[in-house]
Amino acid sequence: MFEQVFFSGLALGSIYGLVALGFAVIFKATDVFNFAQGMFVVCGAYLAVTAISILQLPFPLAIVFIVGAAALLGVLIHMALIQPLLGRPMLSVIMLTIALSIALRALIEMIFGPQGRSLTTPMPTGVLMLGSVRISYLHLTAALVSWACMAGFGLFFRFTSVGLLMRASADSHEAAVVSGVNVNTMNRLAWAIGSTLAAVGGLFLGQLQIASTELEGIGLLALPAVVIGGMQSIPGAIVGGLLVGIIEQMASTYISPKSSDIVIYVLLLLILMVRPWGLFGQKELGRV
Amino acid sequence: MSPVLDIQGLSVAYNRKGLALEDVHMHVPKGGIVALLGANGAGKTTLIRAVTGLLDLHQGHITAGQVRLSGQIVSGLPAHRLVRLGMGQVPEGRLVFKHLSVEENLRVGAAVLPRAQVQDGLDAVYHLFPRLLERRQQAAGWMSGGEQQMLALGRAMIAKPKLLLVDELSLGLAPLIVRDIYKQLLVIGETLGTAMLVVEQNANLALSFAQSAYLLKQGRVVLSGSAAEVAANPLMKSSYLGEAKVAGESTP
Amino acid sequence: MNTTNSQPPATNFSAWGWLIFWAGALAYLPTLLTERALFGMALSNTQLLNLGLTQINLMLISMLGALSLNYLTGCAGLISIGHAAFFATGAMAAAIFDNQLGWPFPLVLLACGLSGALVGTLAGLPSLRVRGLYFVLSTLAVHYVVAYVFLEYQFKFFDVVGIPYAAPRIGDFELNTPVRWYAFLLPLVVLVYLGLKASLQSREGLAMRAMRDHELAATSVGVDVRILRLKAFGLSSAIASVGGALFAYYLSNVTSEAFNISFAIQFIAMIIIGGMGSLPGSLVGAAIWLLLPSIIGGLSPQSNEDGGFIGKMLVENRAQLVQLIFSLLVIVFLIFAPDGVAGLARNLKNRIAAWRQRP
Repeated sequence: MFEQVFFSGLALGSIYGLVALGFAVIFKATDVFNFAQGMFVVCGAYLAVTAISILQLPFPLAIVFIVGAAALLGVLIHMALIQPLLGRPMLSVIMLTIALSIALRALIEMIFGPQGRSLTTPMPTGVLMLGSVRISYLHLTAALVSWACMAGFGLFFRFTSVGLLMRASADSHEAAVVSGVNVNTMNRLAWAIGSTLAAVGGLFLGQLQIASTELEGIGLLALPAVVIGGMQSIPGAIVGGLLVGIIEQMASTYISPKSSDIVIYVLLLLILMVRPWGLFGQKELGRV
Repeated sequence: MSPVLDIQGLSVAYNRKGLALEDVHMHVPKGGIVALLGANGAGKTTLIRAVTGLLDLHQGHITAGQVRLSGQIVSGLPAHRLVRLGMGQVPEGRLVFKHLSVEENLRVGAAVLPRAQVQDGLDAVYHLFPRLLERRQQAAGWMSGGEQQMLALGRAMIAKPKLLLVDELSLGLAPLIVRDIYKQLLVIGETLGTAMLVVEQNANLALSFAQSAYLLKQGRVVLSGSAAEVAANPLMKSSYLGEAKVAGESTP
Repeated sequence: MNTTNSQPPATNFSAWGWLIFWAGALAYLPTLLTERALFGMALSNTQLLNLGLTQINLMLISMLGALSLNYLTGCAGLISIGHAAFFATGAMAAAIFDNQLGWPFPLVLLACGLSGALVGTLAGLPSLRVRGLYFVLSTLAVHYVVAYVFLEYQFKFFDVVGIPYAAPRIGDFELNTPVRWYAFLLPLVVLVYLGLKASLQSREGLAMRAMRDHELAATSVGVDVRILRLKAFGLSSAIASVGGALFAYYLSNVTSEAFNISFAIQFIAMIIIGGMGSLPGSLVGAAIWLLLPSIIGGLSPQSNEDGGFIGKMLVENRAQLVQLIFSLLVIVFLIFAPDGVAGLARNLKNRIAAWRQRP
């Protein structure tokens, strides 16, 4: 039984890790704590519904549609909302992303109706038995794809020249400008990546559960995940996501379904009091 | 021969405050080394920001005048465009990418080069600054001030700019190291033909390297000419060269 | 705000005049709304902006929330997105002290205030350890913790339907009609407003604002920043708790759903639109939050026929439309008018003054 819970936690945690990674990329690049990341997940789920159920696109084309639309959404949001707020106090930016999430939620509910929509894809369903552990193919696919995306991003970030420029921009905005980097483009790229990764998460969560605005709550777990893992650390975000997934499943099974949120947030509080820079973060020299 | 950098009647203000620069005329000839002198707050950094397109970042704007790079008007262009047009900058405070390695720092500067030329560019910088070669995989944040200054300089010159702007090179560095770096600046000038505008608080040092100089005071150019002329000028002598500090005399 | 003898005496008179006008208007308001007529002239629903006294009362209660949050965030510079937690605390305290222990109403309110102050001080403790973004997250975590406690409490002592509240009474005066609630809430809001204003102008209040603007500087002149922070949190939470208790009494039944994150966010929206750091702005923000749904309700098409798909969408999803417009309004304000309505009003006043003084 324990292995069962652990594996579901790991699978879900991989998806959370993906969403948390997107969140961390946005944060590292533009210093924005994107409370709308949960809604980006929902957008992904509904983009999938649009592409597959409404537009009836063949699956590969549907994937292109989802990724493209999510990336575009990220870029537009940066251009229209984030860029104008450059240099403004933190509450303004936080509130902007919160207001954005509310607006997106209202818009989606107005277009698609407040109830969820079921999402069916050609991805394999069915169950695999490993000893006494039941692993659904969908969970497995979700985990594998998430890991592939995370790895892909890691390679891009570390080894390509665009990735280098992104790292430079995140390291020091001013130094990047001085060195000839088009920081605006880098920021938009970061938002496109952040939104796309969340959308992929939404694609899987939408099928594992249902495409509805309630997925926002799950997407928001990326926030404690990133903090627990370490806000400025990309690998930290991924580990944070895995931990949150495992803890959520454990709490849900062994304590009570409603308790999983609270357990995670209490853990968040503890980390904030004891080790605020997270498990993998570095203590920053605080400037007043 | 048209100057590499030509500033005409430049006036700059920061948000809702008075003019930080007023009616500045300045030029840097091709391959020349020009020193920009003045006390703190005289407007040197503002001038550099105006030339390099960084005014926006600091809530400033040009109220009058123009900046030309090799004859082309560049005032108002964003900073990253200027780098592509051949303007390199070694900013005040070094501004290296602390979490990136030395080589990665240089590669960022080389991003404007075609891929084939990047390795040559790196080799040229390592040739000039062997210390950087030793430390090429180390994170830039852990290096000494002098090494970081070399790195910032290397990063700026790797793309073979027409004009190099050097802002307060000597701040926080030991005099020997500063002299070393200035010598390398001369080498860069000779080999690449790069023109330079050097902002320096240490007027003695700057005047010994530069060919001509401008003195800024409260946002205006109060003195200009060849390095020798400026050094000999009584205004320069009394205020900035510390000749009043000769034994026994009191300082203002 | 009063200038010296350069101000002609007529202005002081007009200030008093305005005060009397507004006092009169506010006193007349319940009559206006219950009889739906202005001095005998009947008014349609649309003309009254679809408002009833119920919404006005809810607005007054939410003003308590907006004022207390603005005091905390705008004046003391402590960002909190867990404000709903203190409302929940008040509601829970009211349930404990009234439903379960049967205390008289005034005492219950006092107990709610004190519980709020206690919880608020505890919630403020992370501020001793972390700053900025991390602190905001701690307030979010506090929200979830309190919400969970409330939920457990509700399920243990009451049931899924919610916690019921009997109409409160002060002596023989029972608050069982909207007019009576109005008569109780309006002076309360005015009192809280004046109290907070006085607090901000006191020595500690000025120190608090110094703290908001530059903490290091404030510390260097001997202000114990940490204690001030906790005090601000305590006071703000106390007021919010009282608001929460009144909210629960007014609705006569609440569940934990009532105090979800949306609830907290609405208060932040109010202070952003009204203007952060401006107490009058908090009132304006709460008023706009009240008016918006009614206005939209009045404007949207009554039938599905006109407007086609969009019209149909608007009618069927009125609640979402309100949300959409409200959030877009917040975004617009954040980008174009960061100081809220208060800032706009100040700008306007300055421009008028400059225009008046032109040669």
